Amino acid sequence: MEYFWGSVKLMLIVYGLAAFIAMLVAWVIKLIFAGIRRQRVSAATKVDASAPSEAKPAGSASGKVV
Amino acid sequence: MPEINILYIFQGIATMVASDPLIIVARIVLILLGVAFVYLGAKGTLEPLIMIPMGVGMSSVNAAVLYLSGTTMGTIFLDPMASEPSQLMDVLQINFLQPVYTFTFSNGLIACLVFMGIGVITDIGYMLISPMRSMFIALCAELGTLLTFPIAVAMGLTYKEAASIAMVGGADGPMVLYTSLILAKDLFVPITIVAYLYLSLTYAGYPYLIRLLIPKHLRGIKMDPKQIPSFSKAEKMTFAIISCVLLCLLLPVAAPLFMSFFLGIIIRESDVKPFVEFISGPVLYGSTFFLGLLLGVLCEAATILNPKVILLLFLGITALLISGIGGIIGGYIVYWTSGRTYNPVIGIAGVSCVPTTAKVAHKEARDANKFAVILPGRWARAFAA
Repeated sequence: MEYFWGSVKLMLIVYGLAAFIAMLVAWVIKLIFAGIRRQRVSAATKVDASAPSEAKPAGSASGKVV
Repeated sequence: MPEINILYIFQGIATMVASDPLIIVARIVLILLGVAFVYLGAKGTLEPLIMIPMGVGMSSVNAAVLYLSGTTMGTIFLDPMASEPSQLMDVLQINFLQPVYTFTFSNGLIACLVFMGIGVITDIGYMLISPMRSMFIALCAELGTLLTFPIAVAMGLTYKEAASIAMVGGADGPMVLYTSLILAKDLFVPITIVAYLYLSLTYAGYPYLIRLLIPKHLRGIKMDPKQIPSFSKAEKMTFAIISCVLLCLLLPVAAPLFMSFFLGIIIRESDVKPFVEFISGPVLYGSTFFLGLLLGVLCEAATILNPKVILLLFLGITALLISGIGGIIGGYIVYWTSGRTYNPVIGIAGVSCVPTTAKVAHKEARDANKFAVILPGRWARAFAA
């Protein structure tokens, strides 16, 4: 009987560990993609910010020509 | 004229006549079972990739028992019990499948090669869409592994034997092979055979379990494809390499399997076409073929007749049944927590067995509602078409 209860305890410990590792991996995935998305957003923002300032001189130059 | 002993010429029959009645019955049953596997495999009822070579191997090995020396009976296929170096050197030169068995099967290499092949054909994008839900469903679908362990211990198996047979609940053949080789070497032949036998039966059994536990209107729930983000190859590779290192760090005993699986994924995503074609073709199908053939050849009556086989048969089906129910419960929980937008049939796909249970889930959802395709890639293609 003790042997059986030992197996129940072992089962719960192993399942708990498996659940912990599974959720840890899931969090790692979430963190990786949160990081990647944040990087993408900041890169896109930089491009947006630099686009008008780059366009201005071109526009003014063409204005002068016209 | 020298005297001719007909039975000496036809040794398959001579050994059958001279055997214990139990062995005679077992040999005949296994020969017929092998023929049935070939028939059911070719018909598509059982998994043909495993069942056809397994059936041929099983029938042949039980027919081909001969006198090896004096009154010792055996076959010239392979000897799974040979372990002494000198004995091993002898059988390696005699038994035609011994090199394949000794150098790929008994050290788990074949399981790793199958995992590598599975990695190459797996798109982890579906898992990355919703990692928490995926992991939750996978945990629920391991319920069979979890509960079968104490049941097996209560039925008289040791912890290691119980853990090996409980792994059938994970519905993953190479994993069962790998675990039983490490934990219960004496029982690994019957455990692996029971596992592969039942895994091929999931095709036939799980659809009934789904129809029994999930009403048709829930099976036909359409998933919203707009909620499905796509992931770049670089993102998938980043996930694969980080997960591989993390899991190897946490569980070094299973590191060969982790490495093989994630290597397959990385090769797929890095688009190295020659490797992709090599691993998803010759490596995967070659390993599967030899795995099936060796499993069949290992089903020799004298090897498989173990008093624990009946117990293993019961525990194997219990593990798979409970895992199936657990997966569906997981599917229901996600269905309720997602505002009833999630198709609970997806729960059964959590019972591993990489493409098999996912295919079963997909087919059941399609049967209930032809627009309720639950594999996103195919869904998109079906709608585009």
